Amino acid sequence: MINKLKQAINLYLIQYAIDAILRSKSKSLFITIIFTFLTFLLTSIFFITNSVKHELNTTVDALPQITVQKIKAGRHYDIDISIVDEILEITGVEDAIARVWGYYYFENIGVNFTIVGINQYEKQYKDSFEKLIQKVDIDELNENSSMIVGHGVKQAMEKGYYLQNYFNFIKPDGSLKKVNIAGVFDAQTQLESNDMIIISQEQARDIFDISEDMATDIVIKVANPQEIDTIVSKIKLQYPDTRIITKNDLKVSYQNIFDYKSGIFLAIFIISLFTFFMIIYDKSSGLTSEEKKEIGILKAIGWTVDDVLKEKFYESFIISFISYLIGIIFAFIFVYLLQAPLLRDIFVGYSQLKTTFELPFVFDFQTLFLVFFLSVPIYIAATIIPSWKTATLEADEAIR
Amino acid sequence: MILSPEVLSILILDVIFLFFSLIALILSIKIFLNWDINSTSKTQYKLEKQSFLTATIIKYIFAIKLPLFLFFIFTLDKISSVLTGAMCAAGVVDATQYGTYLFILKILNIYIFGFWLLIHHLDIKDEHLSLTKAKFGFFIFAFFIFVSEIILELTMFLAIDIDKMVSCCGTLYSNSATSYISNIFLIDTPILLTLFYGNFIVIVISYFMKKKYIFTLANFFFLIISIISIISFFGTYIYELPTHHCPFCFLQKDYYYVGYFIYTSLFLGTFNGLATGFINKFNISMIFNIIFTLLISAYPIIFYIKNGVWL
Amino acid sequence: MIKIKNVSKIYTINKNNTVTALNNIDLNFKEGELIVLKGASGSGKSTILSLIAALSKPTTGEVIVDDKRISKLPDRFASLYRRENIGFIFQKYNLIPTLSVQKNILLPLVPSNPDEQEAQKKLEIVMKKFNISHKKDAIVRNLSGGEQQRVAIARAHINDPKIIIADEPTANLDEKLSIHFIEILKELKSTNKTIIVATHDPLFFDLDFVDKVIEVYNGNIVS
Repeated sequence: MINKLKQAINLYLIQYAIDAILRSKSKSLFITIIFTFLTFLLTSIFFITNSVKHELNTTVDALPQITVQKIKAGRHYDIDISIVDEILEITGVEDAIARVWGYYYFENIGVNFTIVGINQYEKQYKDSFEKLIQKVDIDELNENSSMIVGHGVKQAMEKGYYLQNYFNFIKPDGSLKKVNIAGVFDAQTQLESNDMIIISQEQARDIFDISEDMATDIVIKVANPQEIDTIVSKIKLQYPDTRIITKNDLKVSYQNIFDYKSGIFLAIFIISLFTFFMIIYDKSSGLTSEEKKEIGILKAIGWTVDDVLKEKFYESFIISFISYLIGIIFAFIFVYLLQAPLLRDIFVGYSQLKTTFELPFVFDFQTLFLVFFLSVPIYIAATIIPSWKTATLEADEAIR
Repeated sequence: MILSPEVLSILILDVIFLFFSLIALILSIKIFLNWDINSTSKTQYKLEKQSFLTATIIKYIFAIKLPLFLFFIFTLDKISSVLTGAMCAAGVVDATQYGTYLFILKILNIYIFGFWLLIHHLDIKDEHLSLTKAKFGFFIFAFFIFVSEIILELTMFLAIDIDKMVSCCGTLYSNSATSYISNIFLIDTPILLTLFYGNFIVIVISYFMKKKYIFTLANFFFLIISIISIISFFGTYIYELPTHHCPFCFLQKDYYYVGYFIYTSLFLGTFNGLATGFINKFNISMIFNIIFTLLISAYPIIFYIKNGVWL
Repeated sequence: MIKIKNVSKIYTINKNNTVTALNNIDLNFKEGELIVLKGASGSGKSTILSLIAALSKPTTGEVIVDDKRISKLPDRFASLYRRENIGFIFQKYNLIPTLSVQKNILLPLVPSNPDEQEAQKKLEIVMKKFNISHKKDAIVRNLSGGEQQRVAIARAHINDPKIIIADEPTANLDEKLSIHFIEILKELKSTNKTIIVATHDPLFFDLDFVDKVIEVYNGNIVS
């Protein structure tokens, strides 16, 4: 068995190929460096998108299964709280909670922060909030006109407003509302909590001028996730002026945004690959008289055209595969150890705030195969015609 | 339209394949029309050189096609998570009218290319290169089937609409389905199993008696019967569910990707079995056929040992 | 053993320009003979060598070696024929300078993927015969001219060929090395191999162990 394997792989030929690669050091090195760089870039991009996608999916998982918003004239409007009771009557609905929240624009920093109003006597729609109200007394926050903010918010306030302990919100009617910063928020994932401000529901209503019988939207928890779509259609029937977003919709749209972004980079990559293809073709076509002679000698001493082709193939494969491996290893180091400086900003830019989160290690075999197919076969394709031209040189003329 | 990175990479390689196979086609036509081994003209020498290029291109395409096919299935699986209703690759294949044909074409082309390589292997061993003309004529024919696959692949990926609901394999591969697949379930299980194992025994016997043509024929039928048996009987034991017949689901992580092993051994076994008509591949074929049969039979047997009953 | 029948070799440079390297020649060599092809460069003697080595095909005529028509063999078979039957000694040795002695000598065997032990055995025999064993791992470009010569000859013998072909073997050598080569040639003569040397070096023309001296002039056989 081993003999058959030994027969299939010609170690002598591989050795010769390695020697040949080392013989033209500068050319080989040049190609290897470029190719390694390309695979490195590509792999890094995929690693980053995978990680951010993972972070995002974890975030989305924590989002409500169904969100109901009121739509008037195609725009989002405050929704009636009385709807909650009616929704609770639909079979399969485990819970329906009215939310009061919104975005507040901080002019000096040029950024939107999310303000979430919490009513601690009601059931929370998020586990992290449940935990929060156990640690923090929202009533106390309310009495002292205070809020709890995310890390990013605190930093931004210090930078943009030189404020340490409080902020003056401007209400819709123009008056100011001073709110103290009581503490910093610590949630399940870093992406979401960074730009969030937690406040009592009463205060939120005050800042956004939402009356007591209204809410920003209603989130629904369903006992059996398979029934989400049925319940959605029931709600749609009862309340035709609402827009209903399911968790799955969000997941799909995130995935598409990511594919879109990575699609752009892939397009750029294709162009560079094409350029690279041309370079390789050019480099492998130009044979010095020295190299031509070598082929002539090989054929004179009994190498067939197929033998030469095989040897050239080994050369291409060795170079491309090693570049591929090195590229992947560098990408690993760059993305997960160095946290991908420069590159990650392109992908995390979906929020204005520069989030300071760690790229989680998400390992995906498929990515490695993907990068392989985008690199090695293309390199080898570029060498097909040049290798053939070399292998079919007339030995006769070459040795004279 | 689905243009995930995986799909894009498949399409990029398709473009490369198209480009090179066109070169191969032009050369094949030239060779087919002008080849004359006894001529000493410059044209003939040029053609001899060009035959190497064509062979190299075809070898390249074939070598990449094989792992690419597995990657293709992997990609379909990944797409299934964005298509509403699809839970495995079966849903994606069904998402457009092109899916099933594409799948069949892909497998067909692998066999066709493999067959070409076989002829090539025989040809170069012949001092008179007597098969060369036929070989390249065959490629001209193979080219059109290959190009159809590429066009179909492009069309399919462009036509997939993520908003459109697709049927899950549960409905596609059930007794109540109205497609031709449901005809599979008309066959009684004991009869099917007899055919399956009986076919296997014919393979084994013809192996020991070294009867080439019976071996080849038996392998051909074995391929067909195996696929039918997997859908109808063996699949249910992998899922341990009497109604789950999908031939794609067990390619997924949940089943330890066993699908890849099962199908790879089946294809390697039967392809080499078919090749034995021309060249001695008895041993390889036998090994993989045995691996396949053992693997696939293990599931019902282990199930019976664990539970004491059949499904 | 080697029959060249009515062979012409015409090179076409372009439509109107042709060069006749050989003009309807006939030659017959017996097994074990040592033949010297004498002629100036461009006379056609190198062409005869490449025809016998199946490195090129005649425009007309046939080349038959050991009752086998080698003139029309397709590339693969021509190369295999060369690998098994021909040992080539080139003008400038044509060794690969950056590789070791043993790698150079084994070069003809590489594509056939030989069993390691067998290959080593053959290597040792041939290195011993040409007195180069002690330089087994030395890089060829660091060797002296004489040593490189021996490596080239060793390489030509690794597959124990029936026919040895030497194309202008002393063209780039000084007198001492040329004489050295002729000494080796004398030894080789005793091995019953058919040896054909193409040269315009007068040192070869009056050797007593040479069986035939054939003069080639302008594509024709003169003597």
